[in-house]
Amino acid sequence: MTRIALQLLLRRLLLAIPILLCVSALVFVILRLLPADPIAMSLPPGATPEDVERLKRDFGLDRSIPAQYFIWLGKLLTGDLGTSIFFRRGVGELVSRALPATIELVAAGLTLGVILGVAGGLAMFAKRGTAAEQAIDLSTTGLMAIPEFLWAILLILFLGVAFPLLPFIGRLDPAVTLPPTITGFLLLDSLLSGRWDALRSALAHLVLPSLALAIGLAPLVMRVLRSSLLETILEDYITQARLRGIGERRILIGHALKNAALPTISLIGVQGGFMFGGTVLVEMIFAYPGLGNLMVDAVRNHDLPVIQAVALIYCVLVLAINAIVDVIYLAANPKLRAAS
Amino acid sequence: MTVVLEAKGLAVSTTAGGRTVDVLRNIDLSLAPGRVLGLVGESGAGKSMIGRVIARNLPGAFSVSRGALHFDGRDLLTISDRDRLALLGRDIAFIPQEPLTALNPTLTIAQQFGEHLERLGVPRGERRARIVSALAEVRLRDPQTLLDRYPFQLSGGMCQRVLIAMAFAGRPKLIVADEPTTALDVSTQAHIVQIIRRMQRDTGTALLFITHDLRLAAHVCDEIMVLYAGDMIERGPARSIINNPRHPYTRALLAANPALSGPRLRLASLPDQMPAISAFADLPGCRFAPRCPVRDPACAAGGFEPLSLGDGHIARCAPGCLSGETQAIAPTALAPWPVARSDAPVLQVDNLSKRYGGGRTLFGAETPGVNAVLPMSLSVRPGEFVGVVGESGSGKSTLARLVMGLEPPTSGAIRIDGKDVTKDAPQARVIRLDALQMVFQDPQSALNPRRPVQSLVTQAMESPRRRADAVTRLSRAKALLTETGLAPEMLDRYPAQLSGGQKQRVNIARALCVTPRLLVADEIVSGLDVSVQAQILNLLLDLREARDIGLLFISHDLAVVRYLCARVIVMQNGAVVEEGVTEEVFAAPQHPYTRALLAAVPPDDVDQPWPVEAA
Repeated sequence: MTRIALQLLLRRLLLAIPILLCVSALVFVILRLLPADPIAMSLPPGATPEDVERLKRDFGLDRSIPAQYFIWLGKLLTGDLGTSIFFRRGVGELVSRALPATIELVAAGLTLGVILGVAGGLAMFAKRGTAAEQAIDLSTTGLMAIPEFLWAILLILFLGVAFPLLPFIGRLDPAVTLPPTITGFLLLDSLLSGRWDALRSALAHLVLPSLALAIGLAPLVMRVLRSSLLETILEDYITQARLRGIGERRILIGHALKNAALPTISLIGVQGGFMFGGTVLVEMIFAYPGLGNLMVDAVRNHDLPVIQAVALIYCVLVLAINAIVDVIYLAANPKLRAAS
Repeated sequence: MTVVLEAKGLAVSTTAGGRTVDVLRNIDLSLAPGRVLGLVGESGAGKSMIGRVIARNLPGAFSVSRGALHFDGRDLLTISDRDRLALLGRDIAFIPQEPLTALNPTLTIAQQFGEHLERLGVPRGERRARIVSALAEVRLRDPQTLLDRYPFQLSGGMCQRVLIAMAFAGRPKLIVADEPTTALDVSTQAHIVQIIRRMQRDTGTALLFITHDLRLAAHVCDEIMVLYAGDMIERGPARSIINNPRHPYTRALLAANPALSGPRLRLASLPDQMPAISAFADLPGCRFAPRCPVRDPACAAGGFEPLSLGDGHIARCAPGCLSGETQAIAPTALAPWPVARSDAPVLQVDNLSKRYGGGRTLFGAETPGVNAVLPMSLSVRPGEFVGVVGESGSGKSTLARLVMGLEPPTSGAIRIDGKDVTKDAPQARVIRLDALQMVFQDPQSALNPRRPVQSLVTQAMESPRRRADAVTRLSRAKALLTETGLAPEMLDRYPAQLSGGQKQRVNIARALCVTPRLLVADEIVSGLDVSVQAQILNLLLDLREARDIGLLFISHDLAVVRYLCARVIVMQNGAVVEEGVTEEVFAAPQHPYTRALLAAVPPDDVDQPWPVEAA
């Protein structure tokens, strides 16, 4: 199993290189063809044309586009993401603070979405053919019809403002001091340093934004799981298990779910990638200091080095989540393991 | 005498077209410990329904409407769900038809078998040892190595042995085996039957053996019940049913089955097919009456009681049917094969071979290849029927695909009328498709469900070379339907409205559209019921008479090949192990594999012991 999983990851890695090269080149070229002037954005109103020229030279913006790309790529390979034109700080530093926040948010959103989706799928399956199923079906259609940014706003209005149960700004209460940075992941750092107040506050701050993301995923998981369960219980091996006198609950959990989970896992892989896209708006709405907010700021300020870096990181994250889901799929599907 | 299973006047009903119909009626049976009762019939006869009543696993719209069913003194119709669940797997066990899909693909053998043993109350620590000994009992080699494997890593025969071992694990009083060998190769079938019989005898279990194969039932069962369209039509000791069948349907069923020895007789095929459930309501009396060669008007009206013929032999028939010779069912002698002709062969294959894989991966590692077909040669002359027999994996289907150009051969040459068509170039394809046409195994998936029959059978006239106007196409379609024995009203039907036999006729009609000189047929009757199979086989013989067409007939069924083909080629693991005149090869097989194949077929003579116990 581990050998096959490693082989799979290696294949994914080899495949990721050309993809990332293409994406980086594409983003790089498009950004430079746009009629945007990052220098003008970062200088005070009274700056002279000489100032502009000097700054352009400093940032290398006077070279040809291919030359700029290869310089950037060369630095990237040494781990240098460049310098933010607007913040005048290393892009690496900015990203290293925002990335863990976004990963935490997506991990929470995925976990919540999968738990809600699987529970709902099982409930719908258990109530198949009844009015309850119809009701669940109808309400999930409603859930899916509303986009996640709207959910974010609705959740804030309902659970943040009307019934102020949960915080909805930032990652931590202003009154709580930041735990020492160990991994950069707030939850993990709070846990490792025994800062329970920070942990509690960070978790509370995660609930609404991750719920806004999860609401988009859960109904899909639910429907795919239900329909594959409905297909699976018609299989011969389910009938045969029934004929051995095995109870319905055991058949569902021990026999049907494992087989029906496979299409659901593939779906989660695809949707997990989309979820990173969803974080941009959700982070903005909740003033959550993640990659999304960094990206929005960078776009607003025409901060090319930051846009490039964040776009590339999004691409890496999507590829990574797909690779992880592939490994999970491999672990869940013995047929695939035997074939490779 | 104690009785394990007893049914009296059992009937199962459903609604069809707004009317309540009995899909199973008048079922009387009693099964004693250690005895085997065979339920025999074609698809739709209701034989599997009986198994489902026992498990109370009827499809939603069906319910038991009359009669009684007792197991071991308990009423199976009124038993609580809890008690029924307690019986299943412990006192009543089932052996399924499709072993490969009857085991959960995501669980190992030890996991699923272990779950069953857990239910039977075997403590955790003893389970693995119990599984190993149970698998050894069904003659699985190295059972230890099978425990942590998944079902898809085993062959169908191995999976069926695992399922048999599981069925017997609880020492049940009754085992219901529903077509347990239908999905398996002939030689595997013999082994499986042998194992089921031995274990059943050793444990004194009663066995309900459901099959479509009357000859197989005769060798396995003590008693046989023949079912037709939900009716029990004949019942009695197996020997008596086979040697002295009384009901016209039983006789027709036997006469529709080609024999492996003795004179070649033309199969007596019944018209049409078994009525569907929707037609039951219009058949108040004997449901066989519309197809019955005797045509006693009393039958169609119904109201007769089963006739006892002595010695436990019962037929559900009007007295008129049983008396006298029913000439229509008696088979007639078939003309012997014409002397080998000296015409130039239509198809000539020289040293043809096919190897899959064996290449290198991206990283340069060599992958093991598979020799699907080892270098072989064959030729088929006009009007000649050549059979290719072998078990699954013998390379016979690959051979057909190579001949049709569906796959490129690894080596060798294919010539049609002397012209080389080995390479699938456009020119070669024209020559090939003018002379050769293929009929596929699954009549269902070979037909586009969105096209009516008339468009399907004249599909070839859509190619630029044969483009024809609608009038020409229609008249051609009519002619093809007549030739293949389909009624003209089929022209506008869609595949979903046709029966399996009709679909296969459409497939044949479509192949005939370009007036080919040779048909390549891959297992074209293996999915059909015996009586329908007989119709298709006779159609092929008639086409040979009318068109002087040749046939490359690929089949696992030796009796069918003997019926159709003058020459036979026996393949094993991609190699030709024996070939020659069919009668000579079957009468005096030279290769041990051919002998094994022949020995694996249940003989026509019930008194001949079969399967022969392996040493």
